[in-house]
Amino acid sequence: MPPTGDPLARRYRRLLIGYPRDWRRARADEVVAVLLDTATPGRTRPTTREAVNLLRHGLRARLGRPASRTVVAWATLAAVICGLFTAALATWAAWHTARPLPDRAAARAVVAEVLPGHEVGGIDPAAALFTFYSQPLRARNLDSLLLGDGGEYQQASVTVAVTSAPTQRQEVLALARRRLDETGWRTYPTHVRPDVTCRVDGCTPTGAVTEIVTARRGDTALTLTVAPRPSIDDTYVTVGLSRATPTAVPFAAVAGGLLGAAAGWLLFGWVSRRTERPHPAAGTVTVLYAATMLLWWAPVLLAAPSLFRHHLGEPHPVWHPLWEWLGQPALSLFFVVGAGCALCGLALAALPRRGPLPYAADQHELLG
Amino acid sequence: MREPTFLILTALAGGPRHGYGIIGEVNALSAGRVALLPGTLYTALDRLVAQGHVAHDRDEHVDGRLRRYYRLTPRGQQALETETARLRQLATAAETRLRALRPRTA
Repeated sequence: MPPTGDPLARRYRRLLIGYPRDWRRARADEVVAVLLDTATPGRTRPTTREAVNLLRHGLRARLGRPASRTVVAWATLAAVICGLFTAALATWAAWHTARPLPDRAAARAVVAEVLPGHEVGGIDPAAALFTFYSQPLRARNLDSLLLGDGGEYQQASVTVAVTSAPTQRQEVLALARRRLDETGWRTYPTHVRPDVTCRVDGCTPTGAVTEIVTARRGDTALTLTVAPRPSIDDTYVTVGLSRATPTAVPFAAVAGGLLGAAAGWLLFGWVSRRTERPHPAAGTVTVLYAATMLLWWAPVLLAAPSLFRHHLGEPHPVWHPLWEWLGQPALSLFFVVGAGCALCGLALAALPRRGPLPYAADQHELLG
Repeated sequence: MREPTFLILTALAGGPRHGYGIIGEVNALSAGRVALLPGTLYTALDRLVAQGHVAHDRDEHVDGRLRRYYRLTPRGQQALETETARLRQLATAAETRLRALRPRTA
């Protein structure tokens, strides 16, 4: 059916955008005719139900393999993991909207505010918002990052050592808590970590404990650690200052996630339609898809539950960034090898087919 | 076999029909319970064509609108017969139990 001046037909035709181009070429006139037949007289716009139905079934048609009952599940698996990784990448970019970490003077001022009368020893400034072995991540570190040390890429903090003569631990904690409350910090329950000594045959508790107070004010998070005994340089309290999650991060996560999931669905659909048999690499592409999903999902399934338990176990004024929940970059080698498999699958899907695409074949049959 | 698929095959068992005709027939067969939307219908038709249960019959143009007719294939007829026998067996079993139940509840 050629385009007409009928606004309803034009709108129905526009809603077929969810279907792949080959399908539209073969079936658009027929489907629009049925839609017009079922429309009540005088209507000029599709109903919401019709629009949702056409978009939903269009996305299903994009996957090809109309007789398959599982292709939607495989596409969902691919779309969700693509969405998670692009969301993580977007949050990483959004994290860089955070203000620089406090400088020495600002860090000293915070400690003077929270622990008045205590002496500040050394101040260890952070080299960047996220660091790799306390240094900004550089291109030359990529091999270490990929080959097992990825977990060292972490959020950095400015650390201030407090070295004045120790009073009673409980007094320090009480003073810090009171001052944090008075100066507008939101405090979290004190976390108590048992002290252990480790030898070759394992670790044993010493009976002493390290007490940790966490707090947040604006875009700054504070971690005050009271050790069971002073360290070699007489430090008995350390105060760490880091940045809270910037406001842009959740928005970036949602936008990046949706875009990535849509791209994942469309790419899966393209590969699925291209590699419907007969295709010279149909079997190989299926194996590459399985390898990609395994390599991408395994780090997520390993990291997310353990990080969830870690979050439940101690207070977190700032949640760990999204990529850590996906096991990145700790298990980034899995991701990179999986990405290699995905690219090989895409390249093989682009190989010329032995026969026409299924919808083109349908069209040939229908019109012939 | 899901109910809409069963109804589409049943609609085509009466002879070749176009999309709008199938929607109307399915609605009538189900006494108005099943109102297929075109998107749902064409996903089901794509599946049934791929399974070899339904095939393209002919095209007609009515008032400038394309009407593409579909017909049941022998394979589709066999699938419909198998499903009908299954449903009949289930319905008979349920009826037998209900008949036995009625005197006691009366």
